[in-house]
Amino acid sequence: MKHPSPFRSGAWLGALLLLTLGGIARADETCNSPYISNLIKGQEDYLHVWTLGVEGLGDGSDKLVTIDVNPASKSYGTVIGSVSVGRRGEAHHMGFTDDRKYLWAGGLDDSRIYVFDVGSHPGAPQLVKTIADLPERTGFIGPHTFYALPGRMLIGNLSNTADKGGLTGLALYNNKGAFVAKYPMPTDTIGAVKGDGYGYDIAVNPARNVLLTSSFAGWNNYMRPLGEVVKDPEAMKHFGATAVVWNLKSMQPAQILSVPGAPLEVRWALAPGQNWAVTATALTSRIWLFKQDAQGAWTARDVAAIGDPSKIPLPVDISITANGKGLWVNTFMDGTTHYFDLSDPEHPRETYQRHTGRQINMISQSWDGKRVYITSSLLSKWDKAGADNEQMLHAFHWDGHALTDAFQIDFTREKLGRPHHMKFTARPGQQVALLGRDP
Amino acid sequence: MSYLSWRIAAAVSVALTLSAGAPAAVDPGVASPPRLEFTPPAPGSYALQRIQPVRDAVLLDPSGRATHLAAVTTAKITLLTFFYTYCADPLGCPFAYRTLSEVRRVIRADAALAPRVRFASVSLDPGTDTPEAIGRYRDMVAGSSTPEWQVLTAASVRQLLPVLEDFGQDVSIERAADGSARRTVHHMLKMFLIDAGGEVREIYTLAYLQPAVIANDIRTLYLEEIAAVRVRVSGAPIRSARR
Repeated sequence: MKHPSPFRSGAWLGALLLLTLGGIARADETCNSPYISNLIKGQEDYLHVWTLGVEGLGDGSDKLVTIDVNPASKSYGTVIGSVSVGRRGEAHHMGFTDDRKYLWAGGLDDSRIYVFDVGSHPGAPQLVKTIADLPERTGFIGPHTFYALPGRMLIGNLSNTADKGGLTGLALYNNKGAFVAKYPMPTDTIGAVKGDGYGYDIAVNPARNVLLTSSFAGWNNYMRPLGEVVKDPEAMKHFGATAVVWNLKSMQPAQILSVPGAPLEVRWALAPGQNWAVTATALTSRIWLFKQDAQGAWTARDVAAIGDPSKIPLPVDISITANGKGLWVNTFMDGTTHYFDLSDPEHPRETYQRHTGRQINMISQSWDGKRVYITSSLLSKWDKAGADNEQMLHAFHWDGHALTDAFQIDFTREKLGRPHHMKFTARPGQQVALLGRDP
Repeated sequence: MSYLSWRIAAAVSVALTLSAGAPAAVDPGVASPPRLEFTPPAPGSYALQRIQPVRDAVLLDPSGRATHLAAVTTAKITLLTFFYTYCADPLGCPFAYRTLSEVRRVIRADAALAPRVRFASVSLDPGTDTPEAIGRYRDMVAGSSTPEWQVLTAASVRQLLPVLEDFGQDVSIERAADGSARRTVHHMLKMFLIDAGGEVREIYTLAYLQPAVIANDIRTLYLEEIAAVRVRVSGAPIRSARR
């Protein structure tokens, strides 16, 4: 049924806008939630780095470090500010609210969640709220992924208060910081696969009403030195080996998929007609593809090796390009950045690699893919020791063929700490706020 | 300072920042229509989250009378959205209007449900959308049929800001090269499903703005109401609220 619109007078302009803008693909720079507004499709101005404090280095606390990354700026490539949270709690990941005005950042050890205002003055974030009730409200600890839903923040956790193992779940808060609900990761059998109850990343495909989660390890493993964990056969049994397909609307698990080897970041290709996702398994060094079969059931398949799996290069962060045709993969142990051609997601093909550091972890790319940022720290207890424990931010240019150096910042020399997760912000465009029209 | 105060202060701060004329880098979001590639879960087969209560405020109705926002966000299941009458963004207000109209058509066909549902629109631009202007708009969109469709505006932007802040509805206005305000309002299209108790139970943005999903969510809240009434009458919960 057609409905005559009271907005008819603007129809010509609307048609013009559709003609001008309608063909642009939808995704978010560095793989954020599809619910986030205000995408940065031009030059990002600031890079915010959630940084683990190091005892004896600076104030020793976790902090949000802001770096000027606009080449047109006089302070390009330098640290222009940092906000210390006054304690050390294993800073790890962060995520924007749906309006991109606030950045939520979590601590894997103390389970605190910090809310930074990055909308008012993107170059000078302010800490405006600390949420400390996650363990009490949910029984979960280790807030990892912060994933924006409209008006809410869905948090993927890693562990629990009872035994600090891998059993955990999802927590939901509203944008004001009030607890809304919790959803335990499934431990029953759905289909032929038994849930392990472990959690890690969150990724939503709104068009399919699907929420996909992956699984890693509990506090007992991620807060223990990596060298000890790998030598302890019992500890090595306590890593995630599943992904869960949830009905997003009902927040009920619909399928459990077997993905052995600790599947980490999940990235959807959301272009119309695509609807597949990939992950990388940390322990087995493989790329896995999530896709629906002819009957509509979701499947998980091992589709490619990352480096030489026998050498356990330890794939960590991945970043899919806006058009879904390319995938960056960092391997921590050998400090190598890999680029895979994903034109055929069934057969990813590595087309480029470069050694980018003694240890590397997170990777973020601009919307146009021309700028790539890499940080070094994985976890405070898993980072390398001695000279290999370099703590760097590397910025690169990518021309489709090779990474070339833009700038780098030594976080140890700057007395900042261990750089981990990164998010972009930009100065607002040519707009004025509603307040200016106050009659 | 409370978190809400921080957020309001931030909104004001953003206003000042935007007025300072920084170079453009943020894309306000090139919208594309949502895709529905699934069968929406059946009404009553799921529970909607209790996201947040709606904070009351005083706004204006089309006759210019002061009206409590709570009067249009309680006592019925309400689908509320923000708009402005001259909106031209094809995936903004006009898209929202088409979506709302389709949901309203579906709800109207359910004689028991229709009187329990309300549509509400609140103007983002009190300067242009005077009571007279929203009255004309209401006459165009609502007519005399059910479900009811209420339209409100504010006496001033200052009066409106806390409402926007409470809902998390961000708004900005483009300006011309000479610094004057253009008649182009950027806002993230959101619809808020509010239960009869005045609590937000779902928020739809463009990525998930599906009439079939919204209609099922409204029915889910209606079934929840029926279940609550049965509990009050019989003193025991019903076994199933599905239909």
